Parts: sequence; structure tokens; C-alpha cells
Amino acid sequence: MNLEDKFKELQKKGEGAHMPHVYYGDPHEEFSLRLIETLVENGADILEFGIPFSDPTADGPTFQAVCERALENGMTPTRCIEGIKKVRERGIENPIVVTTYYNIPYVTGVGNFLNKIKEAGAQAIIVPNVPVEEADELLAEGKKSGIHPIFQIAPTTTEDRLKKIVDIASGFLYVIGVEGVTGVRESLGDSTLKLVKRVRKHTDMPLLAGFGISTRKQASAVVAAGADGAIAGSAYARVYEKNLEKPEETLPEIARLVGQIKQGCIEGYGQRR
Amino acid sequence: MKKGKFGEYGGQYVNEILMPILIELEAAFEKHYPTAEFQEKLNGLLKDYAGRPTPLYYAKNFSKLVGCKVYLKREDLVCGGSHKLNNALGQALLTKEMGKTRMITETAAGQHGLATAMAGNVCGLETEVFMGVKDIKRQASNVKRIKLLGAKVTPVDIGMGVLKDAVSDTLRKWTTCSQTTHYLMGSTVGPHPYPEIVATFQSVIGKEIKEQILEKEGRLPDTIVACGSGGSNALGAFRPFINEKDVKLVFVEGGGESLEADNSAAAFKIGKPGILHGAVMQVLQDENGQIKPSRTRAAGLNYPGRGPEISFLVNSGRVKASYAFDKEVFEAVKVMCRTEGLIPALETAHAIVYMVNHKEEFDENELVVLNYSGRGDKDLETIMRYFHES
Repeated sequence: MNLEDKFKELQKKGEGAHMPHVYYGDPHEEFSLRLIETLVENGADILEFGIPFSDPTADGPTFQAVCERALENGMTPTRCIEGIKKVRERGIENPIVVTTYYNIPYVTGVGNFLNKIKEAGAQAIIVPNVPVEEADELLAEGKKSGIHPIFQIAPTTTEDRLKKIVDIASGFLYVIGVEGVTGVRESLGDSTLKLVKRVRKHTDMPLLAGFGISTRKQASAVVAAGADGAIAGSAYARVYEKNLEKPEETLPEIARLVGQIKQGCIEGYGQRR
Repeated sequence: MKKGKFGEYGGQYVNEILMPILIELEAAFEKHYPTAEFQEKLNGLLKDYAGRPTPLYYAKNFSKLVGCKVYLKREDLVCGGSHKLNNALGQALLTKEMGKTRMITETAAGQHGLATAMAGNVCGLETEVFMGVKDIKRQASNVKRIKLLGAKVTPVDIGMGVLKDAVSDTLRKWTTCSQTTHYLMGSTVGPHPYPEIVATFQSVIGKEIKEQILEKEGRLPDTIVACGSGGSNALGAFRPFINEKDVKLVFVEGGGESLEADNSAAAFKIGKPGILHGAVMQVLQDENGQIKPSRTRAAGLNYPGRGPEISFLVNSGRVKASYAFDKEVFEAVKVMCRTEGLIPALETAHAIVYMVNHKEEFDENELVVLNYSGRGDKDLETIMRYFHES
């Protein structure tokens, strides 16, 4: 299913979208596949599929450790792309958004990389270290291959930049509510809510809020503020990293958490005005 | 060429949170740097606090050994013991102009951390220095100095606990506090405008070399040799000579133990273009694009990337790249100690190795300037241990 249809479907149902973020291969491939199945069966609408990178500068300590473990265990971009195919083979039809840092596509050729993920079954890509200023190639190749490059908007983004980003964006916009890196936070600042409202003035494009979301309440708050959904990532890694020997034992807890966060997305939608 | 691009190198590969801050930094630099007021403050500090101009010393004994006329540009005499203060003072002044109250940075050999702490105190700014746990251990004396000056030293234990990891963590930290805090980048690396800002502040080295060599020899040098990884001391020395096509420029990187995988920092020799810490650089990486850790005994050269401008200059053939192995570096320390009575930093000793290894190529009238980037006090224990063990 493509992103547009997914958002339409959710709108019809009156629900906010939930996109969990998983780095593939931590602690091993088979667990990642079961984790993805669990997430999708229990509330995920869109899947953010991370390809681990050695120096994930936009990620906090949880995802740094995740990337380090996955790479130590031999995960590679090629195996990740195979992994997307495996997800599709398991009958999962939800949209897949690949996340990775720009050196990974850069070394193999951006066009080549996008074609490969498209072929494997992905619909979009997030490259956190590519701002609009450096996005020409990603945009051109994205258009050719049919992959949406997803852009981020932060509390520091000026009105001027906001317009530029909205102009070139497609698929959805990734709204970073807090200044910082990915990771669990105790309370979600007002800045997320303010930012979502600011972006809304410029576009009707779907907005997914991310960074620092780990609870039902937080998901509900950002969706109530006008976001079309919530992204959570480190929150799930924090559950299974407690039991890396047998991470599958944590899947019931992850199933509950993803269900709660999705519930928050639904509740928040109901509170929108 | 597009702003901030050096051929295929450079750019601004950072996340959206930092982009507006980089734009603000570029504007502040362009606004303040050219003003008479800023220049007066900077030059005043460089002269009376840092001790500039540094001498251009004719190293007679060393010249005899290598068979040509070698001048040492004595950046080891800059207060703090290396060229790092030139840039730190400039950026600290800029931080003040931007109305920010804190500076964060990372350091490997500790020289840049020390320079940042000094410049911060002089300008009344709080400082925090990120340092890999491994570097904290091997540069203990500089860590003591930094702490004594009142800067906060934050250990970085992710990855290998070295410079690459410290840069990543400083970038992360910066995304949480960029509105009040300036990241004082210590080398000609990172996203635009950093490579430009650092090279501009460091080019005081090359400007002085030009004046001093004309005064002493009545002509420009035939060759300038400098060590480096990011490239700040090298570009500082090279910049005013880049358009002087008859001046040969040599850049010496850390060869480490050997050129085999994972034992070297020689990114020009065994790396390729890639994106790390905000820019396209020549960088050590595997076939999948995962950045590889560098290795060399010289902590200040232990970085997998070469800055965008030095990458471009080497790639285009203007600068010749060379490397020196750890073993040769320690021997070169001894050579400089015995000939000139100077203990060079392990980083600086890489440039000395080049002279020793290529002495057959020089004739006696050849005029060489070696950018003597720092003194070796900080490396004393490492040096003693090496000679004791071998």
C-alpha cells in the first residue's frame, strides 16, 4: 500500500498514524523480522526501517548502541534491503520508510540505492543528514525511482526554510518536536505542539511527529495538536535491550506498548478541533 | 564553485535542527570578521596573549642532516604549545559577537581542548570539552591543564572512545543547546562554514611565513611541509601560497602501524570520498560505507577524515599527500631533539619524517618551510614508553 492511500484510509477511520522505527539486525535479523511482525500486528500503520550506520549523529544513546550491535553482528545495507523483501514475503503490506545516513546511498550511488529499496518494496526514505540545501540529487533520483524523500522540520527551522521544505516535500513531513537526538524523554515539551501548529499553517501534507515520543499520552498530545501521527523508536529498543539474550521474550511487552501508542494516536485524533 | 564546496568535497550534511544555526554562524562570520573592530581585538589577542608572530627559525643542524635549507615555523611557541589557539581565539570572539555564552568542543591530543579553555576564559565564556576515554588516558597532562583552567571535561565512551566518537557526541550535544552554545570546531572539518572559518583564522601562519621568508631569504620557499588530518595547521600554512604555483605543498598524514586495514589513519592513501560529520571528505570506510576507525599513535592525527579543502587540494594535484609510520615518527622525534634541541609533538614529527625520508630529493639550495605545529611535552610519557619498550 502506498503512503497516500494509507493516510486516506486512516483519515476515513478517524485515526492518527503510528510509525515505529526499527534498526534492522539488532541484535539479529530473525528478531528484527519478528519485531516488525509484532509491531504491525498490534498497531503500527507505517514502518520506519532503519539501515544501521557506524556514526548515527542524529540518534541518541539507545539507537547508537542498537547500530553498534547490528553492525558488530554483521548487518550490511545489502542484507537490510534483502530484509525489506523478507518483510514483504511475510505478507506485510504497510508502507515502508527506509531510514539511513547519507554515506550509505552515497557510496553505491544514490539512484542505484533508491532503485534497490524501491524494488525491495519501500515507498520512501528519510536521510536525517540531508537538509534541503543538499537534497538536489536525492530529489531528482527520488522522482525517477518513485521513492519519496522525507524531510524534517525542527523547532529551529525558520519560516523561510519552512516554506522551502514544504515546497519540495512529498509523502509526509517529519516534525522534530524537541531540540536534540532520538530517544525517550520524560515529558514532551510544548515546543512539539507549537511547531505542529506552525507547520500546519503552510501545508495540508501529512505530518508525523517524532523524537522523544514513548507513551500513549505523548502520542495523543501530538496528534491532538494537529499532527497526523506519531513516530516512536527508541522506546521499543529500550524494551528488548533489557533481554538481548532472548529478545523474543520481550515481544508481548512490545505488543502492549505499540498498542498503547496507537491508542494514543486514535484518542488524539478524536480530540482534534 | 558553490559556497562551502571544494570540488566534490564539503557541503552541509547535517540535520535540520542545525541548519539554521549554521546559516546564522556564516552570517555572523561574514559580518564581524572583516570589521576593523574585530580585527583589532583578534590581532591584539594573537600578539599579546598568544605570542604572535611566531618565529621562523633557520634550523641549521637539521638542515645539514637533510641536505637543504629548512626553516621551522615555530607554532610550538604559541601559548598552549600549538597552533590551535589561533583558531580558538577567533571563534571565541565570534561567539561573543553572536551573543552566545558557552562553547563546546572535542579534542584528541588535548591541544584544541586546551586552546578552547584558554580562549573561553579570556573571552568570559563557559567551556565544555568532549574527549574520548582512550584519549583522556593517553593525553593525561593536557586533561589536567584543561581542568585546571576550569573547563568541564566530558568523557566519551561510545565507539572506540577516540576523536571520531567525540565529534559525533559533540554534534549530538550541540543539537540540544545550539541557541546558547557555539561549537568551536577545532579543525578544517565539519559542515560549511566551519572549514572556511577555521582555515581563515589559521592562515595567519602562512601570512607570517610569507613575510618572514621574504625578509630572510628574499624569495618564496620551494616547499612547505605540514602534518595533518583535518588539515588546520596545513591549510593555515598553505593558504597564502595556493596560487603561488612554484611553491610545492606537502601534507603528511598518520600512517599508523602499517597501511593494512584498521592500523592506519592514512585516508588519502587508503580512503575514498564519503560523508562524515557534515561534509563530503576523503574518509576511511568499508565497502558498505561504514566509517572505519583510524589508528595512529599521534592522537591529534587519529581521525578517519581529511577536511574538504585539503581533500580537494590533494585530489586536484595542488598538494602532494604523504604519510609517516608510527615507528618513523618516534625516530624523527629523536632526530629533532638531537639536532635542534626541540621536542616536537608526535603530530609535528610526521612532517619531520617526510624531510628525513626524502632527503635525496632535495638539493642544498632548496628552501623548505616545515610547519612546526606543536611541542611534544604532552607526548612525553608516550615517547618515553616507546623507547623504553623497544
